[in-house]
Amino acid sequence: MIAEFIMIVVGGIKFGAIYALAAIGIVVIHKATRTVNFAHGAFVLMGAYACYGVVEGLGLGYGAAFVLAPLAAGALAAAIELAILRPIRQADSFAVITSTIFIGIGLSELYRLVQNTEMLALPNPVPGPPLFLGDAVVTREQIWVVAGAVLAGLIGLAIFGYARIGRGMRAMAANPRGAALCGYSADAVNALAWFLGGALAGLAGVFAAPSKGVSAELAISMITAGFVAAVIGGFDSLRGALMGGFILGVAETLAAGYVSSATKSAVSFLLLFVILLWRPQGLFPEAKIRDV
Amino acid sequence: MSNQRGSAALRVTAPSLGMLAVAVLGLAVGSYWQYVLAVSLSAAIVGGGLAMLVGYARCITIATGAMLAIGAYGAAVPVIRLDIPFLAALAFATALGALAGIVLAVPGVRFRSHNLAMVTFVFQAVVIIALRESKGLTGGAEGLNVPSPTLLGLTFRDDAAFLLLCGVLAALIILPLAVLLEGPFGKNLRAVAGNENAARAFGIEVSHHLIAAFAWSSAVIAFAGALSAPRYRIIDPDSYGILASIFTLAYPIIGGMGSIWGGLVGGGVLRIVPELLRPLADYIELIFCVLVVLTLTFFPDGMASAGLRWLRPRRRGEAAAPAPARAQQAAPVAALLSSTAAIAGKPAHRVMPPADGALLAVAGVSKAYGALRAVNGVSLAVPPRALHGLMGPNGAGKTTLFNIISGFVAADAGSMALAGEPLEAVAIERRIGLGMTRTFQHAAVFHSLSCLDNVVIGLGRNGVWRTTWRSAQAAIDAGATRAERHAALAALDCVGLAARAREPAGALSLGDQRRLEIARAIVSRPLLTLLDEPVSGLAVEEAHRMRELLLAINRDLGIAMVVIEHNIGFLVSLCRRISVMSEGSVIAEGDAARVVEDPGVRHAYFGEREAVA
Repeated sequence: MIAEFIMIVVGGIKFGAIYALAAIGIVVIHKATRTVNFAHGAFVLMGAYACYGVVEGLGLGYGAAFVLAPLAAGALAAAIELAILRPIRQADSFAVITSTIFIGIGLSELYRLVQNTEMLALPNPVPGPPLFLGDAVVTREQIWVVAGAVLAGLIGLAIFGYARIGRGMRAMAANPRGAALCGYSADAVNALAWFLGGALAGLAGVFAAPSKGVSAELAISMITAGFVAAVIGGFDSLRGALMGGFILGVAETLAAGYVSSATKSAVSFLLLFVILLWRPQGLFPEAKIRDV
Repeated sequence: MSNQRGSAALRVTAPSLGMLAVAVLGLAVGSYWQYVLAVSLSAAIVGGGLAMLVGYARCITIATGAMLAIGAYGAAVPVIRLDIPFLAALAFATALGALAGIVLAVPGVRFRSHNLAMVTFVFQAVVIIALRESKGLTGGAEGLNVPSPTLLGLTFRDDAAFLLLCGVLAALIILPLAVLLEGPFGKNLRAVAGNENAARAFGIEVSHHLIAAFAWSSAVIAFAGALSAPRYRIIDPDSYGILASIFTLAYPIIGGMGSIWGGLVGGGVLRIVPELLRPLADYIELIFCVLVVLTLTFFPDGMASAGLRWLRPRRRGEAAAPAPARAQQAAPVAALLSSTAAIAGKPAHRVMPPADGALLAVAGVSKAYGALRAVNGVSLAVPPRALHGLMGPNGAGKTTLFNIISGFVAADAGSMALAGEPLEAVAIERRIGLGMTRTFQHAAVFHSLSCLDNVVIGLGRNGVWRTTWRSAQAAIDAGATRAERHAALAALDCVGLAARAREPAGALSLGDQRRLEIARAIVSRPLLTLLDEPVSGLAVEEAHRMRELLLAINRDLGIAMVVIEHNIGFLVSLCRRISVMSEGSVIAEGDAARVVEDPGVRHAYFGEREAVA
């Protein structure tokens, strides 16, 4: 019983780590550019697809995939920001949000047209016998994903929180004109934020690809999970998004394990609804500065 | 665009006539194209419904697929299981759609933009899961066989007959939609989308309007779902999935969000495109996505509006012509008296000013944000017809006090009354009914509405039922709105903007937007209006004109004013009494000229200015 519970929770933490990466990317983009990126699921898909290309197509292995896939997804995100969203941002948030929705669907469609198969499978990046925790079985892949995703998430957090470029992004979000007067270029900072967010999404794709497979479904499931995790965390909190990812992952696998697999998606909707209605500031809100 | 001539009745019926015309012309083409036109008509209905929600209210909804499914199953299941007539089932499905819209909107309209989109996404997902799981009723994922509709013993199996049926029914359902969108209801939705605070200050209950928009739009979309289901013969939950929702969202965006036509044309045309481009069938979704992004980038008003503009280039030239006439002489303010008297014979407010004592009585009002005491025990007494100035350095709490008086911020302590009526329990939207209006520090006009429509909203007859009724009246009898427009035009004339009545408010200069705000604030002939920095950012000459205008309004209409302003010369020459606030408290109050000489005031106010300089 306990062993089963541990295994379910560990499985949940693994997916939670992937959700957390996706959510942190959404929050980084939102914090810096005040844009909610509904194309984020498609960025995850692009990262996963790039991973497949590097590992299976080029035969370069996962090491290269971990470098190249996030770079590719980040570059795509930055290009979309510069070429499409930058001109639209002059109008209003409605136009920007709807654009990201259709950009996301368009990317998924593009993937479907290019790769017209059911699902692309990838080999396990860390083969080998599982580890035993008492009676509970923990796979090497689970440890690898959790450790890797958390590390990557913390690096992203550190860049946004402490590095000069992160300061620029936060300044741009708080007061675009003020930041511009201080010598930050709005276009460059926005593009950089999208690159960082896209790279985190791409990384989430690399971690997700071996266990979830690469398919257009991945985009929809990851935008939902990433958005819900971000909402749990308060949408403007990077740490909150990290925690939100874990909470969602564990809640989903617990529901799937103990109730039924059909309730899995219901859980994320329930969490989203409950948080939005009763605690719209999230479970881990940032210090309330914007309220005044 | 608001420059359309012709009677209101024609404008409201034109979309329905268009639907009928498509159906009749469709009789000339082959059977396959009649089928295509029939589904295209139902897509046009969907586009019309989305024009209200997406185009006017600017809510992003991803629940359209669910609403279509509710309509399709809501009509098909009763027909199959209970054998009830098609038209009754259609009516039932439409009502079910309205109910679903309300169920979605009541929790949903607490949110805006991306969070609202996400709530609609959840609704969409839950409805499809529910349809798939309740196999006994809906046939689950395998789908449901929908019989051809029967009417008066006739079965509409034939494509031509079905097309005609679609045309007639589409014309019927689009009519109320056009009535609402062309009338005050549509304008109020635009006001809400443009500036919620200003909308609320003039009596528009935002959530009521958005819930109504969801209900109407969902009912119309469910109607379309019920109408088109028999043509698909078999319906299953997955064809109403998330992708269906997103691609229908493209209808009003590509078609254009400026009018109901954008949604109708967008839906109708986009539904035909896949049939025209059969060889590119695989790429159609991608093409849609590209089209949407291109539209948002290059034609934010949509293709239909771009087309209209291209068809009527001269109209724009005409509209631009009167611009030099801006410095026109304003009409005497007293003219507003007679023209507003025509509206229901009396001012909008129901309370009468007291003969003596205070019109506005604020006693011991406080508001703290954490440790910051924004307003600290402020008392203020403004007699009827008074001009009362409020000055103080930035951050003194002046605007917070205005927000408390007008209801946007709840005070922690203290009491307020207008003409003896306690204000605390009165919602923001009802305060205009008591005879109180306001302007905003950042001129808060409704950019997408014409100046005239801005001022009509200022009349404050904006409850959601009343607005629905006014829309119906406006469609039936153009005379019904004549009194409103007459009063609004008179108010515009007072502030010198009559020549620009038909121009969108967003096209005005800052000074003119401030004058428009004044017109909107006085057209209901309130007892009191709160003016937040009426001349900030204006040139000296404009400020001078503003002073003359405000003095005339006060003298001729008897409207009391509380005026926040940093321009002390302006304030002293306008107001007889001035209160000075600093760090949340009133530090001095009295005769205008004397207050500014007070040493304490000079220290708090000018002292800081010198330090800054």
